[in-house]
Amino acid sequence: MTMLTSTSTSRNWASLFSMSPERRSVLIAIAVFLGLLGLVDFVSSGPLSYFDISFLSSGGATSAIAAIGQTIVVLSGGFDLSAGAVISLVNAVLAQGMDPAAAQTSVVYWTCVGIGVGMLTGAFNGIFIAFFRLQPIVVTLSTMFIIQGLTLLVMDKPGGFVAPDLGTFYLGDAIPGWLPMPLVVIGVVLLAWLWLKNTRFGTAIYAVGSDPDAAAAIGVRVKLTKFLVYVIAGGCYGLAGVFISAQTGSADPLVGNPLLLSMFAAVVVGGTRLGGGRGGPLGTVFGAYILMMVVNILLVLNVSAYYSTIAEGTILILAVLAGSISYSSTLAKQLRGAQAQFSAWRQGLLPSQLDRTDRRMKMPSSAEGKPVASSFLSRHSETIRYALPAYLCLLAVVIVTQFWLGRAILNPTYWNSLAVLSTFLAILALGQGTVILTGGLDLSVPWIIGIAGILLAGIVNGSDAALVYALPAVLLIACLIGFINGVGIVVLGISPIVMTLAMNGILQGFALVYSQGTPAGFSSPMLRWFMTGKIWTVTPVVPFMVLFVIAAVFLLGRTAFGRRVYGIGNGLRAAQLSGIAVGRTLILVYVLSGLCAGLVGVLLTGFSGQASLGMGDDYLLPSIAVVVVGGALITGGRGHYLGMLGGVLLLTALQMFLAGTTLPYATRAILFGLVVLGAVMALREKRS
Amino acid sequence: MGIGSIIRRAAACACIASSMAMIGHADAAEKHKIFLSMSFIGNDWQAEAANMVKAMAAHKNYADKVDLQVQVAGPNAQRQIQQINAMVQAGAEAIVIFPISPTALNQVVKNACDKGVKVFAYDGEITEPCAYNIAIDQEEAGRVTAEWLVKKLNGKGNIIAITGVPGTSVDNLRTKAAKEVFAKHPDIKIVGEAVGMWSQAVARTELSKILATRNWDDINGLWMQVGCFTANSMQLEAGKKPEQLLPCAGEGSNGGRIQMLPAGTEAEGATPPYAPMGAPRISYASPPYSGALALKLAVDAIEGKEVPKKTVLPLPLVTNETIKLCQEGTWQEMKDGCNAFKPSIVSNPGWFASIFSEKTPEIGLNAALVGQPEN
Repeated sequence: MTMLTSTSTSRNWASLFSMSPERRSVLIAIAVFLGLLGLVDFVSSGPLSYFDISFLSSGGATSAIAAIGQTIVVLSGGFDLSAGAVISLVNAVLAQGMDPAAAQTSVVYWTCVGIGVGMLTGAFNGIFIAFFRLQPIVVTLSTMFIIQGLTLLVMDKPGGFVAPDLGTFYLGDAIPGWLPMPLVVIGVVLLAWLWLKNTRFGTAIYAVGSDPDAAAAIGVRVKLTKFLVYVIAGGCYGLAGVFISAQTGSADPLVGNPLLLSMFAAVVVGGTRLGGGRGGPLGTVFGAYILMMVVNILLVLNVSAYYSTIAEGTILILAVLAGSISYSSTLAKQLRGAQAQFSAWRQGLLPSQLDRTDRRMKMPSSAEGKPVASSFLSRHSETIRYALPAYLCLLAVVIVTQFWLGRAILNPTYWNSLAVLSTFLAILALGQGTVILTGGLDLSVPWIIGIAGILLAGIVNGSDAALVYALPAVLLIACLIGFINGVGIVVLGISPIVMTLAMNGILQGFALVYSQGTPAGFSSPMLRWFMTGKIWTVTPVVPFMVLFVIAAVFLLGRTAFGRRVYGIGNGLRAAQLSGIAVGRTLILVYVLSGLCAGLVGVLLTGFSGQASLGMGDDYLLPSIAVVVVGGALITGGRGHYLGMLGGVLLLTALQMFLAGTTLPYATRAILFGLVVLGAVMALREKRS
Repeated sequence: MGIGSIIRRAAACACIASSMAMIGHADAAEKHKIFLSMSFIGNDWQAEAANMVKAMAAHKNYADKVDLQVQVAGPNAQRQIQQINAMVQAGAEAIVIFPISPTALNQVVKNACDKGVKVFAYDGEITEPCAYNIAIDQEEAGRVTAEWLVKKLNGKGNIIAITGVPGTSVDNLRTKAAKEVFAKHPDIKIVGEAVGMWSQAVARTELSKILATRNWDDINGLWMQVGCFTANSMQLEAGKKPEQLLPCAGEGSNGGRIQMLPAGTEAEGATPPYAPMGAPRISYASPPYSGALALKLAVDAIEGKEVPKKTVLPLPLVTNETIKLCQEGTWQEMKDGCNAFKPSIVSNPGWFASIFSEKTPEIGLNAALVGQPEN
């Protein structure tokens, strides 16, 4: 083991940053992987043979290769949501491009085509992220939509033909009976990375990921580095697309899309830190295989279908926890902190136990009058600068709607629908937005919505009287879920993405077990009226929405809680040193997010009249997109709720416009992506 | 490593597996090991289909014969590939699959077939020739419903189309077939089209978006893969009377079926909009019993009976002329022609009501609801 580490981790890098945690987390990822492998071996019939290894290696290869690309992006401090879509695109391009009649197919040629297509999309991302300095998450989200649209244009349904030669090559044996080809492919990619890491460019990736400003100051070409990172990552997705084409022998325009979230989980399980600067693809490869092995484990243990997502979420959390067991882990620190606090309490040294004399430095009260308040505009100039573009784009969309479809600006129904449809995202934007302001991300939103809706419908079952106690109960449960998220993140030190992703799976399992697969019950008449009724032309939820917005602005802008959130987002360490109870605030942030998602679940149930499984699935990515389109910084600290609200209105108005046209879905997806990209371009223009 | 050694390996595997299983329960030796690989369990149709498969396996004709294990692959085709491989390794005699993709599984299914495993796909399709497919004719579904709507509108009018999940072959076949019909009638105009993702909730959001810039009065008919129940509710909310509801060609959810019953029909537990109102409808469905039938056929195939590679299920179609409320929901009652269930029994209007098949007397309403077979 030690031999392995000293060779696989480059000395250059280790001496530059002298960090060992990631080396350890790679080792632990490997250990967890071997442990799971051992478990499968132990429980399943017969010892693992070469054949088992061969099929396991091909099963995880696509996600492993793609996750390597994602890791490199993450190392540079980025984020790439387009990865899954690129895999689908390459799959579709290959299947459409190959000639079924050709006797011989060049594996090299088509591999290059696949990698080339991937690199092109990566270059598109890279240009916007590196040279236009846009936030990676929005750019890649827009590209994701655009690429999904393009893929459907290339191929609107599964089919096509991928030459068997490709499959024979990629799924065959490098050394028959000893070494399956997929492992060789992954090995080659890892070796290429190892070489790259030792070049100046490799160092630059870590430097940019750790601190772009410092990197720029020591002469690293930050822009070029970022650009190339996305191109290289695109190449990896392309190769993954080639691999999946070889594996399936045909194409499916949707095949890559579900790989996205598990890819991030693989990155984090493999010990790479989101935010950049630490980790590496070796751990990621094992992370990807760990996630793939879960399928086999569920099978050999015969876990019931309803419980499978619960088991998966638990395994994910345990794998990450196992990776963080050490003296310097958050949990250990928390325990030591609690111990220190306890002994201080026994000795009577806690700040609250000391006498409370005012020890503040006496300031000469020289400044006579109060400082002159600056004008409204200059005080809020930054907020306006980041929030305005969303509203300007909204205006543009409304005008286009008016000209294209008629009946918009002067039509009260239009504005009412816009407000009602925006409600869900506007509420989610507060929760998700606050989480993002602290530099986190909440992926458990979909199934908090789902479970809240299902519980509410089940308890209420059409009775207004039951709503009185069902509503608080459901919201309380949502808060509790958020609390557990927060505790996992703060006390156990699990990365927000992993914690909330695992929570999402666990909640899905609970929802299934609770509803036995078919959610019963329906919303009460009052709740339905609240969401769909009309007082003149206004739906009752609209005034509620206005109050909610006011409360949200107040919460983030005028309360101590709001200031703490911004403080944490701007610098966790600085916030800690200035006396903010970081842990408590973070837990509250996730409670808020849970509450918001729960409320959306309730309102959606009222809107649809009943709850359904998966009702929240379509709200995850939009909830992140609106926050960022509204001018918030994904790394935290910057953003105003009114800006996010602008993002919500913009996206909703855009969708309403697109729904009113009869454009094909593929074109709509492309247009949607382009407009989002345009909106954030406007954000940038204001920045210079 | 040659095919021979793979087979030897698989055989050895199966031997060990069965001997291991014997330690577990004594009678397991004669049981056929069958796996069910579902895609996603998070929607009504999938859960209902899973219940019916489980009920079939629990029926007295099969309980002693079948050892069924259910696994979920999620929406990820990669995982389903891995899962099917693992099932083959675990000694499956047959694998029943809800295929996430009609094409992505071909290689792994071929592998399984080569090892003597029978592979059955239900609802979706697997294009690999060695797989058995059990599904309705999706093109027919699109065509027949579109023809009904055209006839209902006398070949003239503005319609809204709500489609399924873009990029899937089911959606593609249905929508294409329907649009071909509409194209033959130049006076039929699709004025709004949205992606409904086969979900009532999404259908409502999309319809709300379309109606923000349009009026119900400008629309004459609806063609929806899923969402007629919601569309009717929305028209009532907008102040329409039940007799003014637009003709809607769409899904076979129980909510929609109940709405089709003539207004005033006695249906226990009905509350508007989940109530009889004589809504003009044609209701079709991909029947959720297909998985249970696949299991049945899989057992037949294992036992050496002749099973056709492709079973095209009769398309369940219900119109206002053929709608009939069930009292209990037994298989016999459904055989006699009832096709909608009381809201007091089925409280979820999104639940799929096309559960009857001549070929599956083992499973009735309780199978679909709670996974209990008929006696």
